[in-house]
Amino acid sequence: MKKNSNSQFGDEQVLIKKLIEGDQLAFEYIVSEYHNLMLSIARAIVGEAFADEVVQEAWISAIKALAKFEGRSKLKTWLLHIVSNGAKSRVRRENRMVSLDEGWESVPSDKFDHTGHRLDNVYPWEEATPEALVANEQLQSIIEETFQQLPALQRAALTMYDMEGIKMEEICNILDVSASNVRVLLHRARTTLHHSIEKYQDNK
Amino acid sequence: MYQCKDIAEEVNNYIEGDLPFLKRIGLFFHFLICSCCRNYLQQIRSTISIVTVSQPKEQDGTDLKNLAKQLQETCQEHKHEH
Repeated sequence: MKKNSNSQFGDEQVLIKKLIEGDQLAFEYIVSEYHNLMLSIARAIVGEAFADEVVQEAWISAIKALAKFEGRSKLKTWLLHIVSNGAKSRVRRENRMVSLDEGWESVPSDKFDHTGHRLDNVYPWEEATPEALVANEQLQSIIEETFQQLPALQRAALTMYDMEGIKMEEICNILDVSASNVRVLLHRARTTLHHSIEKYQDNK
Repeated sequence: MYQCKDIAEEVNNYIEGDLPFLKRIGLFFHFLICSCCRNYLQQIRSTISIVTVSQPKEQDGTDLKNLAKQLQETCQEHKHEH
């Protein structure tokens, strides 16, 4: 489920040593590995308009502080906290509020009768591995499109929890929201993606 | 007694094990008697697996190679300053 981090560099200490030495490949590696995730967090906290700037500043702070990195957390976690702190400071300066309800439509009530029972049958999806399903270009593009339409907070929660395997407690610290709110974000993101995949399955 | 609508609202908490014991048991009994909700649970599990494998990314026009070069230069300059 999780990506195999630092595979090119053996372990994280080697990667950090290479970065401090100024190794070009090491820089290309961390940027390709973490930039998108950092952007996701910045967008979730501070919004689209300032996210690029916040990430840029976070990278520079991280590079300058690299020699002091003591390895008490993973490099990824350390970078995510730097971008998260930068984004939170920016939010305070800009006085910006982000709503958890942004872009959310609850489960359509017309799917249930007045007693809460489903009106239509739900059938199993075709038996195929996720890898086989994702190899389908149409489904892949549906997932990409739906993901891009999710609010930034939902995208960040889904990316960190389902794709990066980051622990709930860590996500709460990074996004500065409660565990119950992260669960709400995850529920909404997964439900929206489920609707899109369901439509694709029904139209096949 | 829990209904299908409750399942739709709590399915992710059920998957994550984030429910009080009695509620979890109540939903479990609903799954035993309702094939639609069993299928729905399976679909949500598949959704998570599909998204995990699919790994959709943030849209981003950054030139990563150029950013890496800039950071490498920043690192070298910082080293010379200290």
